[in-house]
Amino acid sequence: MNKTKRIFEQTPETMEIICAGIGGRGVLLASTLLIECAVDADLSAIASDEYGMSQRGGSVVSHVKIGDAKSPVVGRENAHVLLAFEESEFYRNLTFIRRGGLAIINSRNTSIFESVDKVLKKRNIAYFLIDGDKIAKEKGMIQASNMAILGFFSAFSIGPYNHDALRHTIEKKVKESLVLKNIEVFEEGFLKAVSLSKNL
Amino acid sequence: MERKKEVMIGNYAIARGLVEAGIDLAAAYPGTPSSEILPGIIEFNKREKGSTYAEWSVNERCALEVAIGAAMIGKKSACMMKQVGLNVAFPPLPSFDELKIRGGLVMVVCDDPGPQSSQTEQDTRLISVLMDIAYFEPSSPDEAADIAYYAMNYSYEHKLPVIIRSTHRVSHARQAVSIFPKGKRIVDLKEGVLNKTNGNLEGSKLGIVSSGMTYSTTLDVLKEMGLDNIIPVFKVTSIMKGKISGDKNKGIIEFVDKVEHVLVLEETDAVLELLIGKNGKVLGRNTGHVPSAGELTYNVIRDILGDVLESLKITKKKFFYDYEIEDATKEIHIVQRPPKLCAGCPHRATFYAMKEAFPEAVFPGDIGCYTLGTSLGAVDTCIDMGGGINIASGFYDAYNQDGALIPIIATIGDSTFFHAGITPLYDAVKKNKRFMLIIMDNGTTAMTGMQPTPQTGITAQGELNKPILIEDMVSSLGIDFLKVVDPYDVPLMINTIKDAYNFLSLEIKKAAPAVIIARRECVLSSRGKEKPKYEEIPLEKTCIGCRTCIDYFGCPAIQFDDDKNQVIIDEGLCTKCGVCLFVCPMI
Ligand code: SF4
Ligand code: SF4
Repeated sequence: MNKTKRIFEQTPETMEIICAGIGGRGVLLASTLLIECAVDADLSAIASDEYGMSQRGGSVVSHVKIGDAKSPVVGRENAHVLLAFEESEFYRNLTFIRRGGLAIINSRNTSIFESVDKVLKKRNIAYFLIDGDKIAKEKGMIQASNMAILGFFSAFSIGPYNHDALRHTIEKKVKESLVLKNIEVFEEGFLKAVSLSKNL
Repeated sequence: MERKKEVMIGNYAIARGLVEAGIDLAAAYPGTPSSEILPGIIEFNKREKGSTYAEWSVNERCALEVAIGAAMIGKKSACMMKQVGLNVAFPPLPSFDELKIRGGLVMVVCDDPGPQSSQTEQDTRLISVLMDIAYFEPSSPDEAADIAYYAMNYSYEHKLPVIIRSTHRVSHARQAVSIFPKGKRIVDLKEGVLNKTNGNLEGSKLGIVSSGMTYSTTLDVLKEMGLDNIIPVFKVTSIMKGKISGDKNKGIIEFVDKVEHVLVLEETDAVLELLIGKNGKVLGRNTGHVPSAGELTYNVIRDILGDVLESLKITKKKFFYDYEIEDATKEIHIVQRPPKLCAGCPHRATFYAMKEAFPEAVFPGDIGCYTLGTSLGAVDTCIDMGGGINIASGFYDAYNQDGALIPIIATIGDSTFFHAGITPLYDAVKKNKRFMLIIMDNGTTAMTGMQPTPQTGITAQGELNKPILIEDMVSSLGIDFLKVVDPYDVPLMINTIKDAYNFLSLEIKKAAPAVIIARRECVLSSRGKEKPKYEEIPLEKTCIGCRTCIDYFGCPAIQFDDDKNQVIIDEGLCTKCGVCLFVCPMI
């Protein structure tokens, strides 16, 4: 994980995050948690959801900007972080990631296409695959794979998004009946990242 | 004084501002991106223990006229709609000059640059300017709350109706918004050059005039370019009564006069550009510097600025795309995800039956989720709310004139029927137009987020009123062929459609059109309420890989496994409606 740490040694003044996935699988909840968490840390934040067709299984992209940003739209090659809640949506939204950025991808696979791996390396973009669906399923909450991704992301402690802060936001904002399960999945995602960093 | 912030979407911010301004009455017809404002008003009113009355109107004209009525009596009233809803609400606008209100009247109209969820882009500011109605335009959710508060008070004080024009990027953006106690909001609406540029405008080679979310995005782009403290940007927050010569807006003209060139960045039409005039000095849509249609996204604005700055020889800041990213994904099969009707959607079943009964028919469609019937070949036209019925009438006349009785099967949703379908249907009955109308009754306004229709009798506050049944309305018009069918019963639906055609061609003395109500609740709103129709869907077992269901039906729960050469059912999506069992030739 050394390399990623280096990329993010300095949290940028304005941080731009893209959450991408498919309708009904928690993309909007994830981006809501990201913005709430930033606001709790006294940062200004703005997000924009493109969810016109989200209920109908279409692609959903949510833009989040924290810090000194006026508009909620992220430009091409400007996102510091891409959280992809589904693998195809990762490929579809590749052009958002800036040089030196970070991508976390929910996928069953353990590697990505070689051509993409190459271009990401060239652009000094760190990426990680995590099987969020599996984790969520094991914890008995198939729809909560988004929490696994957030847990994994929290391990990087970028800006306001450290483990404790994000966990706190989830506890505060997720429906009471679902909080416990969501936290379990979140923690599991976090542990995955921690054990990965030990192995490296 | 207590001052709090809460994260909310722009539409809720507008609702908050209106409630804090003491709104008495709110009326709306749902339409993306405006639909969340009315529920927001209801919620904040409850929180503040207020007595605001809020209602879903049957269409936008009703919403506006109800609001006008209340404003005449002295109330603070508001109506909400999407941009094309304003067309429906248009009739009273030309009389606004003579309109005497004693209270306040705010029309909130949400535009859809792109468009993302409409049949067309349309710029509400054009109509405001044309009709001499003052408009306000927020550039963020936080500002939207201020503007809503200010606009209501402005209208009340000046006894003038005003428009708040939002766009989906404001309405659906999420931000921490300041909350004040009722009547206590402190508003400082900002207009003019707000970015700190070093010194005087005189001699500035380029100045930008912008408004709304485009203004916010422009500032972010300039910041990325390192020019936010160099290029002055004039923010326009309101235009009073269709002119920029008045006291409030004369700053724009002064600004334009001082700088050498002016780039106008606005969504979606060239409204400010036209108001400013000044040919030769102004760069924008009319000079081809700004695309003539579509959303001004971050990338679009970055490209425009890069080009303009370079062509004016100010600086070279063009952003060059790294096309290696595209190259890297060229060979990868990325799943396409066009919007689809949900798995188990009753509309899909109806469309399938229509195509089965009369594949050669013409299919005038309408506006709602069911517009997606285009992908099943069962929706041929879509122009505006309720337009499908009139088009069907026109089709009938045209074919009839030429001596052909072609099956014409029009579709309309239940909410759209109440909104704009009753008059056209009545007109069609009067003239005995021999086409078929299928009213797709899923019991809700599904497209915009499940607002109740008059048939449920449920009010915006969730109380129960007297329901108005579609079949009662239809039969009262004197229609002779009227059947109510469950679309999940595909064979019955096919037969009913054939019966209707026979009726239209043989019983020429009886009143046409023929109407079928396809009644089954939307799968999203009925989720969890009802047991699935089938316990098991044995499609995979008998599948021979003919792809009939994939090509002619397209339920998202059915995927084709190329390796196994057969279908697999996504258990997470499948609602066990069993309609595919009628589609598969092997069952
Ligand atoms: S229609 Fe039936 S046999 Fe043909 S692909 Fe679909 S499930 Fe298989
Ligand atoms: S039963 Fe068939 S048509 Fe109905 S949702 Fe399942 S796969 Fe789709």
